Formats: sequence, structure tokens, C-alpha cells
Amino acid sequence: MIDWSAFLVVSGASLFSAALLVSLYSFGLRLLTTAGRIPLVEPAEFTGAITVRSPKKAAKEVKRARKAAAANPLTPGVKRLALYAGYACFVLCGVAVLYGVYLIVPALHR
Amino acid sequence: MPDFSLIIVLVIALALIFDFTNGFHDTANAMATPIATGAMKPKVAVGVAAILNLVGAFLSTEVARTVSGGIIKEGDGGVLITPELIFAGLIGAIVWNLVTWLMGLPSSSSHALFGGLIGAAIIGVGSAAVDYNVVASKVILPALIAPLIAGSVALIATRLAYLITRRDVGKPDGRGGFRYAQIFSSSLVALAHGTNDAQKTMGVITLTLIAGGFQAVGSGPTFWVIAACALAIAIGTYTGGWRIIRTMGTGLTEIKPAQGFAAETSTAATILASSQLGFALSTTQVASGSVIGSGLGRRGSTIRWSMAGRIVLGWVLTLPASAIMGAFAAGLAQLGPIGIVLDMVIGTIVIMALFRWSRRNRVTHNTLLNDIDDAGRVVNIQKTPRRPTRRDRKKVSL
Repeated sequence: MIDWSAFLVVSGASLFSAALLVSLYSFGLRLLTTAGRIPLVEPAEFTGAITVRSPKKAAKEVKRARKAAAANPLTPGVKRLALYAGYACFVLCGVAVLYGVYLIVPALHR
Repeated sequence: MPDFSLIIVLVIALALIFDFTNGFHDTANAMATPIATGAMKPKVAVGVAAILNLVGAFLSTEVARTVSGGIIKEGDGGVLITPELIFAGLIGAIVWNLVTWLMGLPSSSSHALFGGLIGAAIIGVGSAAVDYNVVASKVILPALIAPLIAGSVALIATRLAYLITRRDVGKPDGRGGFRYAQIFSSSLVALAHGTNDAQKTMGVITLTLIAGGFQAVGSGPTFWVIAACALAIAIGTYTGGWRIIRTMGTGLTEIKPAQGFAAETSTAATILASSQLGFALSTTQVASGSVIGSGLGRRGSTIRWSMAGRIVLGWVLTLPASAIMGAFAAGLAQLGPIGIVLDMVIGTIVIMALFRWSRRNRVTHNTLLNDIDDAGRVVNIQKTPRRPTRRDRKKVSL
């Protein structure tokens, strides 16, 4: 017969893993931003595909980020803590991915 | 059975070609978003996708077993299906794939494959040859449910990503950092693609070998089959990459890094979880579902129903339509050697046409990337409601 529980397993597993990975990475970004290390992205070079920022705009953004970081009310200790916590989130995210791959490959855990 | 050998070699060759075109067609699924958001250079992205497809093919054999051992009954009462019928099924699948591709209809090569095989089996052996239970629980239902699962997971994941990184208006939120995450999430999608799609071909080849009496009933794919399929899909992925690079000039649906990351993570999670249970689903459909879901996860988004309807139509139509194609090819194959030669001629013409078409210079936005990109256009997202005012900015700069 049709195994409905299999669908529940699939949806549960994918919801859990996707939500976990996305949350961990987002928290990592959030903490980096809190720590004043705002991840700035280089202007992309592929015209047409995305909105390309001019060097002027990019420089403006860098300035804005630096200003925001300078105005950060947190003490250096808290900032450092946030930074390390952010890195920890990224590491945890990576570990979660590796664990997922480990679970999937039967050759690794028999 | 030496007289079987020729047709078996033919089927294997055809299956590998099918695998190649699958990789060729689907590079876009994994790598379009990171290239579009500028996370990866096109050449690097394509190379990584090819390697991960290769690796992914070796990960598991669960889906291959579904194909070779479940869908078409070959158990008690002797082997019912013949290599000729599998050959016919493959021809049917390839023809349908080409037709949908030329018409710009979103479709799934995986479902074309199953449809062709099922159609051929029904004509060749009778409707008793197909195990409808397995077809329903491992092909049809996953086909309908998996995109929905992926879509809702992507919706929740997108909400989470935006919620967690939300800051006051005008304050830098660091969401550009999701661009780096996309390098990993799209790699996971490539891996998942290799796992699920290469296994379908493995399943077909194994089914052929079982039908030809070269392998025991119920056994899994042997190592050379796995290796051949992995190589075929990887080479297909790599050679398909140049088309993406060319498309970059024509513009893509705008996908923000945070959204793309959430969508890809959901796609990979859903495909990998399903592969684990032996569901043979369509990677394209799951990816489309995720893109739609993540679009809905953003603020101010609405669905364009006409676009969504078109995509769903393509999803629903593929299985029966390719079954008819497969049945037709099987009917020809029943005529004996002449029929097989006829099938072969038709198949060769179709494959030649496919490559002629893809080699042509007029690579338009419409013929490429259409599945995922259509999915991206299903959701209409309003621009940010207002620019931060001077007062907002002043408040923020505290």
C-alpha cells in the first residue's frame, strides 16, 4: 500500500534540515553585522543578470557600513563575543551539512 | 543469449545519452542562481556542478532500485519485460523531452522516462506488467507532493532568513553575505541532482540487464553501471554549462541572495531526503517549487496564476504524454527487427535534431533555463515600499 508516513518523514526531515541550516547561517550573518563586520559584497560583473552597482555606489555602501560600525553602541568585549558567536554559527552550519551528508551515504555508517 | 546483446548495447547507449542530456539540461537548476547573484564565476560554477554530479551519483542506489526492481514487475512467472520494450520506452521519453523543450513547456525528463517505460510495458506485455502500487507511491505521489513540500519549506526558510537578519530601515543588514552561502547551497543542489537523476539511468540499465538475463532479479546496479552513469551526467553537466554562460547577457528573474540561499537549501534537503527513501522525483520540479515558495516568503509578493497554471500543466501532462509516446514506440518494436530499426531511425533523427537545436546560435532566454526562471516569475514581488527618509537615516545613524 501507499506509505504515507514516508511523505511525513520527507517533509519533516527537509523542513528541519533546511530551517536549521538557514537559521544558523542567518544568525551568523546577524552576529557579524552586530559585531560591526558587515559582509559587503563586491559589485557583480555580469551585466543584465542582476542590478550592477557602480563603483561610486559601492564606495557609498562601504562608507555607510563603516559609519554604522563606528556608531555601534556595543563595547569591544561584546562585539568580540558577537563575532565569535557568529563564527561559531557558521562552523555549526558547516558541521550540520557534513552530518547530513554522512547520514545520506550508507557506505559511511554501516 | 548472444542475440540479445546488440539490443542491450543499444539500450545502454541510449540510456547513457539520456543521462547526458539530463545533465546537459539541468546544470541551470543548480547553478543559475549563484551565477546570477554573482556568487560564483560561471566557469567555476559549471566545473563544481559537474564534479558534484559525479560524486552524487555514487552516494546511494535507493532510487535505482525503485526503477529496476519496483515499477515494472519482473518477478514471478519469469521476466515479462524485454530489452526491446525498454528501448521503446527510452525512445518515447527522449521524443517527448525534445517536443517539450522545443515548445518551451516546463517538463521533467525523469517523468518522461517513467512515462515512456510504463507506456511501453503496457503495450508490450499488458497492463498487468506495471506495479501500480509502486508507481503511485514512489513516482506519482512524490511528483505531486515533493514540489509542495519543497515550496513550503522554502517559504518558511526564506521567512526565517529575512526575520533573523532584519534590522532598522537603512541600517546595513549584511544580507549580501548570503551570496557566499549560495556557493555551498548550490553545490548541495548539484550533489542532490547527481544522486537522484543519475540513479534513474542506473535503474534503467539494471532493468535491461535483468530483462536480458545478465543479472539476478531484484539485484542492484553493478559498479560499472554506476560509474558509467556518473560520468555521463557529469560530462553532460559540464558541456551544458556554456549555455548558461551565454544566457547571462539576457537577464534572469531577480532573485535576492537570501532568497536564493533559502530556496536552494530547501531543494537540496527535499531531494536528498526523498532519494534516501527511493522516491524518484523530478529535480526540476522540486527546484521550481522552492523558487516559488521562497518568492512567496518575501514581503509584498503575489502569485501570477496564469504562469503557475502553465507550470503545473507541464508537470501533470508529462507522465501520460510520454506514456503514449512510449506505447507508440513499443507498438513499432512489436513488429520485430524492422520495428526496432524504425524506432532507432526515429530516435536518431530526434537526437540529432536536439543537438542541432542546442548548437544553434539562437540561444534565447525562452529555450534555456525556462523551468526555473518561469518559476521565478510566478511570484510577483513589489519593490521595497518606500525609501528611508532623512529622519529614518538620522535615527539609524545613532
